[in-house]
Amino acid sequence: MVVDDHPMWREGVSRDLAAAGYDVVAVTGEGRQAIRIAAAARPDVVVLDLQLPDVTGVEAILGLLEAVPGIRVLMLSASGEQQDVLDAVKAGATGYLLKSAGLTEFLEAVARTAAGDTVFTPGLAGLVLGEFRRLAVEQPAADDGGAPKLTERETEVLRLVAKGLSYRQIAERLVLSHRTVQNHVQNTLGKLQLHNRVELTRYAIERGLD
Amino acid sequence: MSEVTGAFAGRAGGLQAPLWRAIAVFRIAALVYVTILVVRNVGEYERPVLAWPVLALTAAWTVVTTYAYADPTRRRPPLLVADLVITMGVMTASIWVVGRAALEAGRPTLAVAWHVAPVIAWAVAGGRRGGIIAALAMGATDLVVRAHYDQAAFTGTVLMLLAALAVGYMVRLVEVAQAKLEHAVQLEAATRERERLARDIHDSVLQVLALVKRRGAGLDGEAGELARLAGEQEAALRALVTSRTAPAVADGAEADLMALLGRYASSTVSIASPAAAVRLPARVAAEVAAAVGAALDNVAKHCAPGTKVWVLVEDEPGDVTVSVRDDGCGIPPARLDEAAAQGRLGVAQSIRGRITDLGGTVEIASAPGEGTEVELTVPRGPIS
Repeated sequence: MVVDDHPMWREGVSRDLAAAGYDVVAVTGEGRQAIRIAAAARPDVVVLDLQLPDVTGVEAILGLLEAVPGIRVLMLSASGEQQDVLDAVKAGATGYLLKSAGLTEFLEAVARTAAGDTVFTPGLAGLVLGEFRRLAVEQPAADDGGAPKLTERETEVLRLVAKGLSYRQIAERLVLSHRTVQNHVQNTLGKLQLHNRVELTRYAIERGLD
Repeated sequence: MSEVTGAFAGRAGGLQAPLWRAIAVFRIAALVYVTILVVRNVGEYERPVLAWPVLALTAAWTVVTTYAYADPTRRRPPLLVADLVITMGVMTASIWVVGRAALEAGRPTLAVAWHVAPVIAWAVAGGRRGGIIAALAMGATDLVVRAHYDQAAFTGTVLMLLAALAVGYMVRLVEVAQAKLEHAVQLEAATRERERLARDIHDSVLQVLALVKRRGAGLDGEAGELARLAGEQEAALRALVTSRTAPAVADGAEADLMALLGRYASSTVSIASPAAAVRLPARVAAEVAAAVGAALDNVAKHCAPGTKVWVLVEDEPGDVTVSVRDDGCGIPPARLDEAAAQGRLGVAQSIRGRITDLGGTVEIASAPGEGTEVELTVPRGPIS
Protein backbone atom coordinates (compact mmCIF):
# COMPACT_ATOMS: atom_id res chain seq x y z
CA MET A 1 0.00 0.00 0.00
CA VAL A 2 1.35 3.39 -0.98
CA VAL A 3 0.37 6.63 0.81
CA ASP A 4 1.75 9.82 -0.67
CA ASP A 5 0.05 13.11 -1.42
CA HIS A 6 2.22 13.79 -4.43
CA PRO A 7 0.49 12.13 -7.45
CA MET A 8 3.70 11.63 -9.46
CA TRP A 9 5.41 9.96 -6.54
CA ARG A 10 2.41 7.82 -5.72
CA GLU A 11 2.35 6.58 -9.27
CA GLY A 12 6.11 6.13 -9.57
CA VAL A 13 6.42 4.21 -6.33
CA SER A 14 3.47 1.94 -7.14
CA ARG A 15 4.89 1.23 -10.58
CA ASP A 16 8.32 0.39 -9.18
CA LEU A 17 6.81 -1.89 -6.56
CA ALA A 18 4.61 -3.65 -9.11
CA ALA A 19 7.59 -4.08 -11.44
CA ALA A 20 9.56 -5.63 -8.59
CA GLY A 21 6.82 -8.18 -8.09
CA TYR A 22 4.91 -6.65 -5.18
CA ASP A 23 1.16 -6.58 -5.07
CA VAL A 24 0.11 -2.98 -4.52
CA VAL A 25 -3.29 -3.35 -2.85
CA ALA A 26 -4.12 0.31 -2.36
CA VAL A 27 -2.90 3.78 -3.25
CA THR A 28 -4.03 7.00 -1.61
CA GLY A 29 -2.92 10.54 -0.89
CA GLU A 30 -4.65 11.10 2.45
CA GLY A 31 -3.92 9.77 5.91
CA ARG A 32 -7.47 9.22 7.20
CA GLN A 33 -8.45 7.50 4.01
CA ALA A 34 -5.31 5.39 4.24
CA ILE A 35 -6.29 4.18 7.72
CA ARG A 36 -9.79 3.26 6.52
CA ILE A 37 -8.51 1.48 3.43
CA ALA A 38 -5.81 -0.34 5.36
CA ALA A 39 -8.41 -1.79 7.72
CA ALA A 40 -10.12 -3.38 4.73
CA ALA A 41 -7.21 -4.13 2.40
CA ARG A 42 -4.90 -5.35 5.21
CA PRO A 43 -1.56 -4.69 3.51
CA ASP A 44 1.67 -6.16 4.91
CA VAL A 45 3.71 -3.05 4.28
CA VAL A 46 2.73 0.59 4.01
CA VAL A 47 5.06 2.98 2.21
CA LEU A 48 4.08 6.21 3.93
CA ASP A 49 4.99 9.75 3.07
CA LEU A 50 5.60 11.54 6.36
CA GLN A 51 4.01 14.77 5.22
CA LEU A 52 0.34 14.23 4.51
CA PRO A 53 -2.23 16.96 4.03
CA ASP A 54 -4.75 15.84 6.65
CA VAL A 55 -2.92 14.12 9.52
CA THR A 56 0.57 14.17 11.00
CA GLY A 57 2.92 11.30 10.38
CA VAL A 58 2.50 10.14 13.98
CA GLU A 59 -1.30 10.14 13.73
CA ALA A 60 -1.14 8.19 10.49
CA ILE A 61 1.19 5.58 11.97
CA LEU A 62 -0.82 5.18 15.19
CA GLY A 63 -4.01 4.89 13.13
CA LEU A 64 -2.51 2.29 10.80
CA LEU A 65 -1.15 0.22 13.69
CA GLU A 66 -4.52 0.31 15.38
CA ALA A 67 -6.36 -0.67 12.20
CA VAL A 68 -3.94 -3.47 11.32
CA PRO A 69 -1.86 -4.60 14.31
CA GLY A 70 1.54 -5.78 13.18
CA ILE A 71 1.47 -3.74 9.98
CA ARG A 72 4.92 -2.56 8.90
CA VAL A 73 5.42 1.05 8.04
CA LEU A 74 8.28 2.30 5.88
CA MET A 75 8.41 6.07 5.98
CA LEU A 76 9.49 8.13 3.05
CA SER A 77 10.19 11.79 3.42
CA ALA A 78 11.45 14.42 1.03
CA SER A 79 12.85 16.78 3.61
CA GLY A 80 13.88 14.65 6.57
CA GLU A 81 12.56 17.03 9.22
CA GLN A 82 14.36 15.54 12.17
CA GLN A 83 11.82 15.77 14.95
CA ASP A 84 9.06 14.46 12.68
CA VAL A 85 11.13 11.46 11.71
CA LEU A 86 12.02 10.72 15.31
CA ASP A 87 8.43 11.02 16.46
CA ALA A 88 7.28 8.71 13.66
CA VAL A 89 9.83 6.08 14.62
CA LYS A 90 8.82 6.32 18.26
CA ALA A 91 5.19 5.93 17.24
CA GLY A 92 5.99 2.61 15.61
CA ALA A 93 7.36 3.02 12.10
CA THR A 94 10.07 0.45 11.50
CA GLY A 95 11.87 2.00 8.58
CA TYR A 96 12.82 5.33 7.20
CA LEU A 97 14.22 6.41 3.87
CA LEU A 98 14.78 9.76 2.24
CA LYS A 99 13.05 10.20 -1.07
CA SER A 100 16.42 10.88 -2.61
CA ALA A 101 17.39 7.23 -2.11
CA GLY A 102 17.95 5.26 -5.27
CA LEU A 103 15.52 2.69 -6.65
CA THR A 104 17.56 -0.33 -5.59
CA GLU A 105 17.98 1.12 -2.13
CA PHE A 106 14.24 1.68 -1.96
CA LEU A 107 13.33 -1.83 -3.09
CA GLU A 108 15.79 -3.32 -0.65
CA ALA A 109 14.25 -1.25 2.12
CA VAL A 110 10.77 -2.48 1.22
CA ALA A 111 11.98 -6.06 1.19
CA ARG A 112 13.59 -5.67 4.59
CA THR A 113 10.57 -3.92 6.03
CA ALA A 114 8.36 -6.73 4.75
CA ALA A 115 10.66 -9.27 6.41
CA GLY A 116 10.20 -7.47 9.72
CA ASP A 117 13.63 -5.87 9.77
CA THR A 118 14.28 -2.26 10.59
CA VAL A 119 15.54 0.12 7.96
CA PHE A 120 17.81 2.81 9.35
CA THR A 121 19.48 5.63 7.52
CA PRO A 122 22.62 7.05 9.13
CA GLY A 123 20.58 10.16 9.88
CA LEU A 124 17.95 8.16 11.73
CA ALA A 125 20.63 6.28 13.70
CA GLY A 126 22.02 9.67 14.78
CA LEU A 127 18.54 10.76 15.86
CA VAL A 128 17.92 7.60 17.86
CA LEU A 129 21.33 7.86 19.54
CA GLY A 130 20.57 11.47 20.42
CA GLU A 131 17.16 10.49 21.78
CA PHE A 132 18.60 7.86 24.11
CA ARG A 133 21.16 10.36 25.37
CA ARG A 134 18.45 12.95 25.90
CA LEU A 135 16.33 10.46 27.86
CA ALA A 136 19.33 9.46 29.95
CA VAL A 137 20.03 13.09 30.84
CA GLU A 138 16.45 14.12 31.45
CA GLN A 139 15.46 11.17 33.61
CA PRO A 140 18.64 10.26 35.40
CA ALA A 141 18.49 6.86 37.11
CA ALA A 142 14.74 7.00 37.10
CA ASP A 143 12.75 5.96 40.12
CA ASP A 144 10.79 3.34 38.23
CA GLY A 145 13.51 2.25 35.87
CA GLY A 146 12.05 4.86 33.51
CA ALA A 147 14.67 5.82 30.97
CA PRO A 148 15.57 3.07 28.53
CA LYS A 149 19.26 2.44 28.15
CA LEU A 150 21.31 1.01 25.33
CA THR A 151 23.85 -1.67 26.00
CA GLU A 152 27.42 -0.82 25.08
CA ARG A 153 27.20 -3.07 22.05
CA GLU A 154 23.98 -1.49 20.87
CA THR A 155 25.48 1.96 21.18
CA GLU A 156 28.53 0.81 19.26
CA VAL A 157 26.44 -0.64 16.46
CA LEU A 158 24.19 2.40 16.28
CA ARG A 159 27.18 4.73 16.08
CA LEU A 160 28.58 2.76 13.18
CA VAL A 161 25.22 2.84 11.39
CA ALA A 162 25.17 6.60 11.91
CA LYS A 163 28.63 6.80 10.42
CA GLY A 164 27.33 5.23 7.24
CA LEU A 165 28.65 1.69 7.56
CA SER A 166 26.53 -1.06 6.08
CA TYR A 167 25.41 -3.94 8.30
CA ARG A 168 27.91 -6.12 6.49
CA GLN A 169 30.76 -3.72 7.24
CA ILE A 170 29.68 -3.43 10.86
CA ALA A 171 29.54 -7.20 11.18
CA GLU A 172 33.08 -7.43 9.83
CA ARG A 173 34.43 -4.73 12.03
CA LEU A 174 32.88 -6.02 15.25
CA VAL A 175 33.25 -9.68 14.30
CA LEU A 176 29.57 -10.39 14.59
CA SER A 177 27.11 -12.06 12.30
CA HIS A 178 25.00 -9.92 9.98
CA ARG A 179 21.94 -11.17 11.82
CA THR A 180 23.27 -10.07 15.19
CA VAL A 181 23.94 -6.57 13.91
CA GLN A 182 20.41 -6.45 12.56
CA ASN A 183 19.06 -7.61 15.93
CA HIS A 184 20.99 -4.96 17.82
CA VAL A 185 19.56 -2.22 15.62
CA GLN A 186 16.09 -3.63 15.98
CA ASN A 187 16.44 -3.78 19.75
CA THR A 188 17.33 -0.10 19.98
CA LEU A 189 14.18 0.77 18.12
CA GLY A 190 12.12 -1.65 20.18
CA LYS A 191 13.30 -0.04 23.42
CA LEU A 192 12.46 3.40 22.16
CA GLN A 193 8.98 2.38 21.02
CA LEU A 194 8.28 0.54 24.24
CA HIS A 195 9.37 3.54 26.25
CA ASN A 196 7.14 5.73 24.14
CA ARG A 197 4.14 3.50 24.76
CA VAL A 198 4.83 3.47 28.49
CA GLU A 199 5.10 7.25 28.48
CA LEU A 200 1.83 7.59 26.58
CA THR A 201 0.06 5.26 28.96
CA ARG A 202 1.44 7.05 32.00
CA TYR A 203 0.36 10.35 30.50
CA ALA A 204 -3.11 8.99 29.83
CA ILE A 205 -3.41 7.66 33.39
CA GLU A 206 -2.23 10.94 34.88
CA ARG A 207 -4.75 12.85 32.80
CA GLY A 208 -7.46 10.33 33.61
CA LEU A 209 -6.85 10.55 37.36
CA ASP A 210 -7.01 14.33 37.43
CA MET B 1 9.74 42.90 5.65
CA SER B 2 10.11 46.59 4.99
CA GLU B 3 6.34 46.90 5.01
CA VAL B 4 6.18 45.41 8.43
CA THR B 5 8.90 47.70 9.69
CA GLY B 6 7.17 50.63 8.05
CA ALA B 7 3.89 49.85 9.69
CA PHE B 8 5.59 49.81 13.04
CA ALA B 9 7.64 52.91 12.45
CA GLY B 10 4.25 54.54 11.81
CA ARG B 11 3.15 53.28 15.17
CA ALA B 12 6.42 54.44 16.71
CA GLY B 13 4.18 57.27 17.63
CA GLY B 14 1.99 54.30 18.47
CA LEU B 15 3.37 53.80 21.91
CA GLN B 16 4.14 57.52 22.49
CA ALA B 17 0.83 58.87 21.25
CA PRO B 18 -0.95 58.38 24.61
CA LEU B 19 1.73 60.50 26.29
CA TRP B 20 1.15 63.37 23.89
CA ARG B 21 -2.59 63.12 24.41
CA ALA B 22 -2.01 63.21 28.16
CA ILE B 23 0.02 66.41 27.78
CA ALA B 24 -2.80 67.99 25.78
CA VAL B 25 -5.34 67.03 28.43
CA PHE B 26 -3.08 68.40 31.16
CA ARG B 27 -2.68 71.69 29.26
CA ILE B 28 -6.42 72.11 28.83
CA ALA B 29 -7.06 71.36 32.51
CA ALA B 30 -4.32 73.83 33.48
CA LEU B 31 -5.91 76.44 31.21
CA VAL B 32 -9.20 76.06 33.06
CA TYR B 33 -7.34 76.50 36.36
CA VAL B 34 -5.52 79.59 35.06
CA THR B 35 -8.82 81.08 33.88
CA ILE B 36 -10.43 80.55 37.28
CA LEU B 37 -7.48 82.17 39.04
CA VAL B 38 -7.47 85.15 36.67
CA VAL B 39 -11.20 85.68 37.15
CA ARG B 40 -10.84 85.57 40.94
CA ASN B 41 -7.69 87.67 41.20
CA VAL B 42 -8.13 90.15 38.37
CA GLY B 43 -9.19 92.86 40.84
CA GLU B 44 -5.82 92.87 42.52
CA TYR B 45 -3.80 92.99 39.26
CA GLU B 46 -1.76 96.09 38.42
CA ARG B 47 -3.05 96.21 34.82
CA PRO B 48 -6.25 94.10 34.79
CA VAL B 49 -7.11 95.03 31.18
CA LEU B 50 -3.99 93.31 29.86
CA ALA B 51 -4.90 90.05 31.63
CA TRP B 52 -7.54 89.14 29.01
CA PRO B 53 -5.30 89.29 25.89
CA VAL B 54 -2.69 87.22 27.73
CA LEU B 55 -5.35 84.70 28.74
CA ALA B 56 -6.57 84.61 25.12
CA LEU B 57 -3.02 83.89 23.97
CA THR B 58 -2.76 81.09 26.54
CA ALA B 59 -5.99 79.56 25.27
CA ALA B 60 -4.95 79.95 21.63
CA TRP B 61 -1.58 78.31 22.25
CA THR B 62 -3.30 75.46 24.09
CA VAL B 63 -5.40 74.81 21.01
CA VAL B 64 -2.43 75.10 18.63
CA THR B 65 -0.23 72.71 20.60
CA THR B 66 -3.05 70.21 21.07
CA TYR B 67 -3.33 69.85 17.30
CA ALA B 68 0.34 70.32 16.47
CA TYR B 69 1.65 67.69 18.89
CA ALA B 70 -0.96 65.22 17.65
CA ASP B 71 1.00 65.08 14.38
CA PRO B 72 4.21 63.04 14.90
CA THR B 73 6.04 64.90 12.11
CA ARG B 74 5.68 68.22 13.97
CA ARG B 75 7.11 67.04 17.28
CA ARG B 76 10.39 68.67 16.40
CA PRO B 77 12.67 71.38 17.82
CA PRO B 78 10.92 74.38 16.16
CA LEU B 79 7.60 73.59 17.82
CA LEU B 80 9.21 72.57 21.12
CA VAL B 81 11.29 75.76 21.33
CA ALA B 82 8.28 77.88 20.39
CA ASP B 83 6.27 76.10 23.07
CA LEU B 84 8.88 76.84 25.72
CA VAL B 85 9.43 80.47 24.65
CA ILE B 86 5.73 81.33 24.41
CA THR B 87 5.04 79.77 27.80
CA MET B 88 7.95 81.69 29.31
CA GLY B 89 6.58 84.82 27.62
CA VAL B 90 3.16 84.37 29.18
CA MET B 91 4.80 83.85 32.54
CA THR B 92 7.04 86.89 32.16
CA ALA B 93 4.03 88.99 31.15
CA SER B 94 2.80 88.45 34.70
CA ILE B 95 5.38 91.02 35.88
CA TRP B 96 3.49 93.79 34.09
CA VAL B 97 -0.03 92.41 34.29
CA VAL B 98 -0.12 91.13 37.83
CA GLY B 99 2.50 93.53 39.08
CA ARG B 100 5.48 93.10 41.36
CA ALA B 101 3.57 93.90 44.50
CA ALA B 102 0.83 91.32 43.95
CA LEU B 103 3.36 88.66 42.90
CA GLU B 104 5.40 89.26 46.00
CA ALA B 105 2.20 89.04 48.01
CA GLY B 106 1.90 85.46 46.73
CA ARG B 107 -0.51 85.92 43.80
CA PRO B 108 0.09 83.21 41.15
CA THR B 109 1.56 83.97 37.72
CA LEU B 110 -0.62 83.95 34.62
CA ALA B 111 0.87 80.61 33.60
CA VAL B 112 0.57 78.75 36.89
CA ALA B 113 0.48 74.94 36.37
CA TRP B 114 0.08 75.55 32.63
CA HIS B 115 3.85 76.14 32.45
CA VAL B 116 4.60 72.48 33.28
CA ALA B 117 3.13 71.26 29.98
CA PRO B 118 6.07 72.28 27.73
CA VAL B 119 8.51 70.75 30.23
CA ILE B 120 6.76 67.39 29.97
CA ALA B 121 6.63 67.78 26.19
CA TRP B 122 10.39 68.26 26.14
CA ALA B 123 10.87 65.23 28.34
CA VAL B 124 8.74 63.09 26.01
CA ALA B 125 10.48 64.36 22.88
CA GLY B 126 14.02 64.62 24.21
CA GLY B 127 14.18 62.13 27.03
CA ARG B 128 15.63 62.93 30.45
CA ARG B 129 18.13 65.45 29.12
CA GLY B 130 15.48 67.44 27.22
CA GLY B 131 13.24 67.33 30.27
CA ILE B 132 15.95 68.64 32.59
CA ILE B 133 16.90 71.52 30.27
CA ALA B 134 13.29 72.63 29.91
CA ALA B 135 12.59 72.22 33.64
CA LEU B 136 15.62 74.31 34.60
CA ALA B 137 14.75 77.05 32.09
CA MET B 138 11.13 77.15 33.16
CA GLY B 139 11.98 76.92 36.84
CA ALA B 140 14.42 79.84 36.57
CA THR B 141 11.86 81.96 34.75
CA ASP B 142 9.26 81.14 37.39
CA LEU B 143 11.58 82.16 40.23
CA VAL B 144 12.67 85.38 38.51
CA VAL B 145 9.09 86.37 37.71
CA ARG B 146 7.82 85.69 41.18
CA ALA B 147 10.92 87.18 42.84
CA HIS B 148 9.74 85.24 45.80
CA TYR B 149 12.45 82.89 46.93
CA ASP B 150 10.78 80.87 49.66
CA GLN B 151 10.62 77.12 50.13
CA ALA B 152 7.34 76.70 48.26
CA ALA B 153 8.78 78.38 45.16
CA PHE B 154 11.77 76.07 45.10
CA THR B 155 9.59 73.02 45.77
CA GLY B 156 7.58 73.85 42.63
CA THR B 157 10.73 73.86 40.51
CA VAL B 158 12.09 70.69 42.07
CA LEU B 159 8.79 68.90 41.52
CA MET B 160 8.86 69.97 37.89
CA LEU B 161 12.40 68.69 37.56
CA LEU B 162 11.48 65.33 39.08
CA ALA B 163 8.44 65.01 36.83
CA ALA B 164 10.63 65.73 33.79
CA LEU B 165 13.13 63.09 34.91
CA ALA B 166 10.45 60.48 35.49
CA VAL B 167 8.75 61.12 32.18
CA GLY B 168 12.06 61.14 30.32
CA TYR B 169 12.98 57.82 31.85
CA MET B 170 9.62 56.33 31.03
CA VAL B 171 9.90 57.46 27.43
CA ARG B 172 13.23 55.72 27.15
CA LEU B 173 11.64 52.52 28.45
CA VAL B 174 8.88 52.86 25.90
CA GLU B 175 11.46 53.22 23.15
CA VAL B 176 13.33 50.10 24.26
CA ALA B 177 10.11 48.13 24.50
CA GLN B 178 9.13 49.28 21.07
CA ALA B 179 12.48 48.36 19.53
CA LYS B 180 12.15 44.90 21.05
CA LEU B 181 8.64 44.53 19.76
CA GLU B 182 9.69 45.55 16.26
CA HIS B 183 12.57 43.12 16.34
CA ALA B 184 10.32 40.31 17.49
CA VAL B 185 7.79 41.07 14.79
CA GLN B 186 10.49 41.11 12.13
CA LEU B 187 11.89 37.84 13.35
CA GLU B 188 8.50 36.24 13.39
CA ALA B 189 7.70 37.47 9.91
CA ALA B 190 11.01 36.14 8.62
CA THR B 191 10.49 32.77 10.27
CA ARG B 192 6.99 32.46 8.98
CA GLU B 193 8.04 33.41 5.48
CA ARG B 194 10.81 30.85 5.64
CA GLU B 195 8.43 28.15 6.81
CA ARG B 196 6.03 28.99 4.03
CA LEU B 197 8.81 28.76 1.44
CA ALA B 198 10.04 25.51 2.94
CA ARG B 199 6.55 24.04 2.72
CA ASP B 200 6.10 25.15 -0.88
CA ILE B 201 9.50 23.86 -1.91
CA HIS B 202 8.86 20.63 -0.09
CA ASP B 203 5.52 20.08 -1.74
CA SER B 204 6.68 20.79 -5.24
CA VAL B 205 10.26 21.22 -6.33
CA LEU B 206 11.83 18.79 -3.91
CA GLN B 207 9.47 15.95 -4.79
CA VAL B 208 9.95 16.39 -8.51
CA LEU B 209 13.74 16.64 -8.27
CA ALA B 210 13.86 13.48 -6.18
CA LEU B 211 11.65 11.76 -8.71
CA VAL B 212 13.79 12.87 -11.66
CA LYS B 213 16.87 11.60 -9.89
CA ARG B 214 15.25 8.28 -9.16
CA ARG B 215 13.77 7.61 -12.58
CA GLY B 216 16.89 8.66 -14.40
CA ALA B 217 19.34 6.88 -12.15
CA GLY B 218 19.46 3.76 -14.31
CA LEU B 219 19.80 5.58 -17.64
CA ASP B 220 23.04 6.04 -19.51
CA GLY B 221 24.52 9.15 -21.06
CA GLU B 222 22.94 12.53 -20.84
CA ALA B 223 19.74 11.38 -19.16
CA GLY B 224 21.73 9.77 -16.37
CA GLU B 225 23.81 12.91 -16.03
CA LEU B 226 20.65 15.03 -15.78
CA ALA B 227 19.32 12.73 -13.09
CA ARG B 228 22.55 13.04 -11.17
CA LEU B 229 22.42 16.83 -11.38
CA ALA B 230 18.80 16.80 -10.23
CA GLY B 231 19.91 14.67 -7.29
CA GLU B 232 22.58 17.16 -6.31
CA GLN B 233 20.15 20.05 -6.47
CA GLU B 234 17.63 18.08 -4.46
CA ALA B 235 20.14 17.51 -1.69
CA ALA B 236 21.22 21.15 -1.65
CA LEU B 237 17.63 22.36 -1.56
CA ARG B 238 16.70 19.89 1.16
CA ALA B 239 19.58 21.10 3.28
CA LEU B 240 18.38 24.66 2.71
CA VAL B 241 14.76 24.13 3.72
CA THR B 242 15.47 21.94 6.70
CA SER B 243 18.52 23.75 8.05
CA ARG B 244 17.82 25.34 11.38
CA THR B 245 17.81 29.05 11.86
CA ALA B 246 20.70 30.06 14.04
CA PRO B 247 19.20 30.83 17.44
CA ALA B 248 22.08 33.11 18.34
CA VAL B 249 19.64 35.97 18.79
CA ALA B 250 17.75 34.20 21.52
CA ASP B 251 20.78 33.40 23.54
CA GLY B 252 23.81 35.43 22.74
CA ALA B 253 26.82 33.41 23.72
CA GLU B 254 25.65 30.02 22.48
CA ALA B 255 25.12 28.70 18.98
CA ASP B 256 23.56 25.59 17.53
CA LEU B 257 26.37 23.56 16.00
CA MET B 258 23.89 21.95 13.64
CA ALA B 259 22.92 25.29 12.16
CA LEU B 260 26.55 25.73 11.19
CA LEU B 261 27.09 22.18 9.93
CA GLY B 262 23.83 22.09 7.98
CA ARG B 263 25.35 23.87 5.02
CA TYR B 264 27.82 21.04 4.41
CA ALA B 265 25.05 18.54 3.63
CA SER B 266 24.96 17.52 -0.03
CA SER B 267 24.28 14.53 -2.22
CA THR B 268 27.54 13.00 -1.03
CA VAL B 269 27.69 14.31 2.53
CA SER B 270 25.08 13.00 4.97
CA ILE B 271 24.79 14.46 8.43
CA ALA B 272 23.42 12.56 11.42
CA SER B 273 22.66 14.35 14.68
CA PRO B 274 20.25 14.47 17.61
CA ALA B 275 16.88 16.08 16.90
CA ALA B 276 17.48 18.93 19.31
CA ALA B 277 19.92 21.79 18.88
CA VAL B 278 23.53 21.01 19.80
CA ARG B 279 24.42 24.01 21.91
CA LEU B 280 27.99 25.13 22.25
CA PRO B 281 29.58 28.47 23.01
CA ALA B 282 29.47 30.36 19.69
CA ARG B 283 33.25 30.43 19.29
CA VAL B 284 33.60 26.71 19.97
CA ALA B 285 30.80 25.89 17.54
CA ALA B 286 32.43 28.01 14.84
CA GLU B 287 35.81 26.33 15.34
CA VAL B 288 34.32 22.83 15.28
CA ALA B 289 32.36 23.66 12.12
CA ALA B 290 35.55 24.99 10.53
CA ALA B 291 37.43 21.81 11.47
CA VAL B 292 34.67 19.69 9.94
CA GLY B 293 34.86 21.88 6.84
CA ALA B 294 38.60 21.25 6.66
CA ALA B 295 38.07 17.50 6.96
CA LEU B 296 35.48 17.61 4.15
CA ASP B 297 37.80 19.70 1.97
CA ASN B 298 40.44 17.11 2.55
CA VAL B 299 38.13 14.36 1.33
CA ALA B 300 37.23 16.40 -1.76
CA LYS B 301 40.90 17.05 -2.49
CA HIS B 302 42.33 13.58 -2.05
CA CYS B 303 39.52 11.20 -2.88
CA ALA B 304 37.74 10.35 -6.10
CA PRO B 305 34.71 12.50 -6.96
CA GLY B 306 31.51 11.05 -5.57
CA THR B 307 33.19 9.73 -2.44
CA LYS B 308 30.56 9.57 0.25
CA VAL B 309 31.02 11.21 3.60
CA TRP B 310 29.06 10.68 6.79
CA VAL B 311 29.13 13.21 9.57
CA LEU B 312 27.85 12.13 12.98
CA VAL B 313 27.31 14.63 15.77
CA GLU B 314 26.87 13.25 19.28
CA ASP B 315 25.79 15.51 22.08
CA GLU B 316 26.84 14.14 25.45
CA PRO B 317 26.59 15.82 28.84
CA GLY B 318 30.33 16.43 29.11
CA ASP B 319 31.42 16.85 25.54
CA VAL B 320 30.41 16.92 21.90
CA THR B 321 31.84 14.41 19.44
CA VAL B 322 31.83 14.89 15.70
CA SER B 323 32.91 12.04 13.46
CA VAL B 324 33.65 12.53 9.78
CA ARG B 325 33.95 9.26 7.90
CA ASP B 326 34.46 8.75 4.20
CA ASP B 327 34.50 5.62 2.06
CA GLY B 328 37.35 6.94 -0.05
CA CYS B 329 40.88 5.85 -0.68
CA GLY B 330 42.16 6.16 2.87
CA ILE B 331 45.47 7.51 4.05
CA PRO B 332 48.52 5.28 4.47
CA PRO B 333 49.40 5.35 8.17
CA ALA B 334 52.77 7.00 7.66
CA ARG B 335 51.34 9.66 5.40
CA LEU B 336 50.13 12.07 8.07
CA ASP B 337 53.33 12.00 10.06
CA GLU B 338 55.27 12.39 6.86
CA ALA B 339 53.28 15.45 5.88
CA ALA B 340 53.78 16.98 9.29
CA ALA B 341 57.49 16.24 9.15
CA GLN B 342 57.70 17.97 5.79
CA GLY B 343 56.12 21.01 7.31
CA ARG B 344 52.90 20.56 5.33
CA LEU B 345 50.38 21.08 8.01
CA GLY B 346 47.12 20.90 6.05
CA VAL B 347 45.07 18.43 8.06
CA ALA B 348 47.18 18.64 11.16
CA GLN B 349 47.04 22.39 11.43
CA SER B 350 43.45 23.11 10.57
CA ILE B 351 41.89 20.19 12.38
CA ARG B 352 44.21 19.29 15.21
CA GLY B 353 45.19 22.90 15.88
CA ARG B 354 41.63 24.15 16.14
CA ILE B 355 40.41 21.30 18.30
CA THR B 356 43.39 21.20 20.66
CA ASP B 357 43.00 24.93 21.20
CA LEU B 358 39.51 24.19 22.47
CA GLY B 359 40.84 21.58 24.88
CA GLY B 360 39.55 18.76 22.70
CA THR B 361 41.06 15.69 21.09
CA VAL B 362 41.35 14.45 17.51
CA GLU B 363 41.62 10.85 16.42
CA ILE B 364 42.33 9.96 12.83
CA ALA B 365 41.85 6.34 11.81
CA SER B 366 42.53 5.23 8.31
CA ALA B 367 43.73 2.39 6.19
CA PRO B 368 44.34 2.34 2.45
CA GLY B 369 41.15 1.39 0.61
CA GLU B 370 39.00 1.63 3.73
CA GLY B 371 38.38 5.32 3.91
CA THR B 372 39.27 7.66 6.71
CA GLU B 373 37.56 8.49 9.95
CA VAL B 374 38.28 11.68 11.83
CA GLU B 375 36.79 11.94 15.29
CA LEU B 376 36.75 15.32 17.02
CA THR B 377 35.80 15.61 20.67
CA VAL B 378 35.46 18.97 22.39
CA PRO B 379 34.56 19.53 26.03
CA ARG B 380 31.33 21.36 26.60
CA GLY B 381 32.39 23.24 29.68
CA PRO B 382 34.93 26.03 29.90
CA ILE B 383 38.54 25.00 29.40
CA SER B 384 40.17 24.60 32.77
